[in-house]
Amino acid sequence: MNIVVFIKQVPDVPNIRIDEQRMTIIREGVESIINPLDCVALQAALELREREGGRITVLSMGPPQSEEALREALAAGADKAILLTDSAFAGADTLATSHVLARAVSKLRPFPDLLLCGMQTIDSDTGHVGPQIAEELDLPQVCGVNEIHVDGDLLVLKRLSEGFLDTIRAPLPALLTVSKELCPVSDLSLGAVEAAFTQKDIIRWAAHDLGLHPDEVGLAGSATHVRKLRQPAARTGGRIVTGSPQSIVDALIRKLESMSILDEED
Amino acid sequence: MSKSFGDVWIFGDYRDYFQNRITLQLIAKGKDLAEMLNTGTTVVLLGEQVHQYAMEYVAHGANTVMVAEHPKLKEYEVETYTTLLSQWVKSYRPEIFIAGATSFGREFFPRLAKRLRTGLSADCVDLEVDPKSLLLVQTTPAFGGELLAEVVTPDRRPQMATVHPGVFRELPHNSEAVGRIIYPDVDVFPEPRVKVIRSRPPIKGKVSLEDASVVIAGGMGLRSKEQFELLYELAELLEGEVGATRPAILSGWADEERLLGQTGKSVKAKLVISIGTSGALQFTTGIQGAETVIAINRDPDAPVFRIVDLGLVADAAAVLPILIETLRRRL
Amino acid sequence: MHLEPSMKQAVIRRTVRKFAEKRLAPAAIEMDRTGRFPWDIAKEMAGLQYFGLEIPAQYGGAGLDTISYAIVIEEISRVNAAMGLCVAVHNGVSASPVYVFGTEKQRELFLVPMAAGKKIGTFCLTEPNAGSDASSLETNAIREGNEYILNGNKVFVTNGGISGINLIFAGIQTGEKGKKFSVCIVESEREGLEKGPTEELMGMRGNPVCPIALHDCRIPLENLLGGEGEGLKIALTTLNGGRIGIAAQALGIAQGSFDVSIKYAKERNQFGRSISEFGAIKDFLADIATRIEAARLLIYRASDMKDKGLNHVRESAMAKVYASEVAVAAARMGVQIHGGYGYTKAYPIERFYRDAKVCEIYEGTSEVQRMVIAKSLLNE
Repeated sequence: MNIVVFIKQVPDVPNIRIDEQRMTIIREGVESIINPLDCVALQAALELREREGGRITVLSMGPPQSEEALREALAAGADKAILLTDSAFAGADTLATSHVLARAVSKLRPFPDLLLCGMQTIDSDTGHVGPQIAEELDLPQVCGVNEIHVDGDLLVLKRLSEGFLDTIRAPLPALLTVSKELCPVSDLSLGAVEAAFTQKDIIRWAAHDLGLHPDEVGLAGSATHVRKLRQPAARTGGRIVTGSPQSIVDALIRKLESMSILDEED
Repeated sequence: MSKSFGDVWIFGDYRDYFQNRITLQLIAKGKDLAEMLNTGTTVVLLGEQVHQYAMEYVAHGANTVMVAEHPKLKEYEVETYTTLLSQWVKSYRPEIFIAGATSFGREFFPRLAKRLRTGLSADCVDLEVDPKSLLLVQTTPAFGGELLAEVVTPDRRPQMATVHPGVFRELPHNSEAVGRIIYPDVDVFPEPRVKVIRSRPPIKGKVSLEDASVVIAGGMGLRSKEQFELLYELAELLEGEVGATRPAILSGWADEERLLGQTGKSVKAKLVISIGTSGALQFTTGIQGAETVIAINRDPDAPVFRIVDLGLVADAAAVLPILIETLRRRL
Repeated sequence: MHLEPSMKQAVIRRTVRKFAEKRLAPAAIEMDRTGRFPWDIAKEMAGLQYFGLEIPAQYGGAGLDTISYAIVIEEISRVNAAMGLCVAVHNGVSASPVYVFGTEKQRELFLVPMAAGKKIGTFCLTEPNAGSDASSLETNAIREGNEYILNGNKVFVTNGGISGINLIFAGIQTGEKGKKFSVCIVESEREGLEKGPTEELMGMRGNPVCPIALHDCRIPLENLLGGEGEGLKIALTTLNGGRIGIAAQALGIAQGSFDVSIKYAKERNQFGRSISEFGAIKDFLADIATRIEAARLLIYRASDMKDKGLNHVRESAMAKVYASEVAVAAARMGVQIHGGYGYTKAYPIERFYRDAKVCEIYEGTSEVQRMVIAKSLLNE
């Protein structure tokens, strides 16, 4: 079973700080990591390869430094890593991003049986790119998968959807986005990291390698534009109470009463 | 010369109707947007025997409900819905098309936007029509909610967005409201490739923080495992669950399954009482979905107080025993 | 001159930090309290090649460069100094000389299980009456047929309680008075090797340090590492490299102390504001951060020279003495910033303080390091 895993290099969001003057994030001193759910997708691919055989190709669109993410994926056990990098790709929304990724997949021989990615990224959190790649490649898609079974050329999947546990059947080839419940991600072995940097290669494709015109990619190929970034308004109206422990408890009890979590005392 | 606009469309998401009010919230917002554009609000409703929902949507403010009734539309199915709706969009040319950011909304709307070669923003927390450009300004959280991005779709139509449930308020039910319910032609559908074989409510695990209506969250301010364990007593008294910050879990005070926040669980509880947590962003993203947040912290400047409805400045160690004792007496 | 870690080194750091924060940080408190070595965690680490850091892949190691090695030790020690010590000693002064001086057969026999983490190594030089002065060693070996017979006492053996392979420094008796200072590889299960009770230490309590006694312990001749009389060369070469490991360990303690302290300073309020706004605290933080950075650069410099095959005696000693003293200073400052809480076990800083001190003592005290540095300066 040949599997493609899409990975995105993202800033380690919990550690970002905001430049309040310029309304951007401060990337300095913040590490770039593989989007955590993409790591789950890669882990799932590794486990499927263990059972079904085949090869794993990781694909990432991003600036040249995304090489680091791909090397990590190689260290985790991917067979082949392709970096889609071109200054023309910059500023892409999900429509333009999915176009580049789908085009890269269609160049792969043989065409993969299974395409995987995380159901969301921690930086933009749209969850659009997976379904949009599936649409462009005319593949069936299932989002938020937490169990994958392969039965011949059929997939039997489970996922949670609005509180319902769905069991789903889909044919191969298909695109799945995965949730974190799918499997725990293994730690990298240090020797594998060393080998990923010293013994493996990264393939690089630019727009012209994919037969893409600059107008259909990046900002030019995007339908949406970010007009501005701003900070969320602080939640206001919160009352702050100080005082003795007993008075604090009283304030809390009154609040619980007002919310009908506690019946009012006669 | 005034420009003429297509309708504002809303995807009629009716699964779990009595809990899931998103469609009604979107109708209310859709009316505001339509007013700015001097146009109408249309709900598109796909399914089998969904007439009752059409009536509800009119009662909650929709001008028009476009209904497709067909046994093959009974299940939410991404490709079938995408195909049908893309045909309708091409015929009727809505200006705006919005859906709730439910599991299904988030799964099929990207595919629909892609087929229509238009833009889509995800999980919006606000929608406004810019009075000058008359573009839909889609406000969407970025970087884990640390920033908000204002997104526009300048040239392509419809302008599409999924919307975070609960950010808009539904209009009251008005049984006298008047609206059109129309049944456009429905083409024959190909057999769907993806099939839901079974769909059942999930078997609940021991800890279901996501579904708890009261969550007691603890952090390092509790200073010891013994103190942390008082939270279980409190949770039991309030019929709630206990969650924890990453540092508390790293200290071995609670299991990983109780982790709240960015890398853990997000709650949608009625009430979160956050005790001894400083309010780091990676934690607060997990509790922001709660209706009410109360925090107890020694430090009046703790960031957690910025997101609370009620902030109690006190040492948890002093307050907890009194609180537990008081509740025990009362219940 | 490159002063930025490479992409690979950045990934190594992140990989280790993630593992260390997930597995080693929570274990540190328990290790310190009970003195028990967590074999389950060590087994996981073995699978991730933490016990073969610089050993080439053909022997099952990770094949890291020395800067990467230092980064690994730093990141482990940042949250769990006792485990950092275990890994530094095993890799730096036990597996490393077996690789460098061992025959192909010895590498197969001893290095492979060491790199796989199946056997943890020690470096047994110190004796009750001999430390840095190797000439006064009393442990001796007598050759008898195809065997050496070892007798003597080693003390303060790091990893002693958990070791499978021990490098014993001993004088091989030649004639009436002559002694050839040599290194014998002695497996823990050899008859005549006896481990004493674990020392009750001030810090690094998670590492079972104990004495090892040899009573007529017989080993085959092929367990001799290097040749007869090669002991001094092996000791000096090994300690040169080993100092980088201990320096990295001290750096980790310094960084760990700093990280918990700056976090505390930001969270702790006095007189209505965060104590991090007070000048004295700012001075502490600025000063320690500067010294930590200096220590790090010294370590990377010595590591880089080692990888290039340059003589790095002075640089290793400088890195070791400086980083050790920064560790102690950072931990002491950290306790001070924490105030009364810093003196309690509710916060990890008191453990850092106890762990830090020994860095100035073992693998050559700070005084010995200064002797080494001065000697290299005056000889030139």
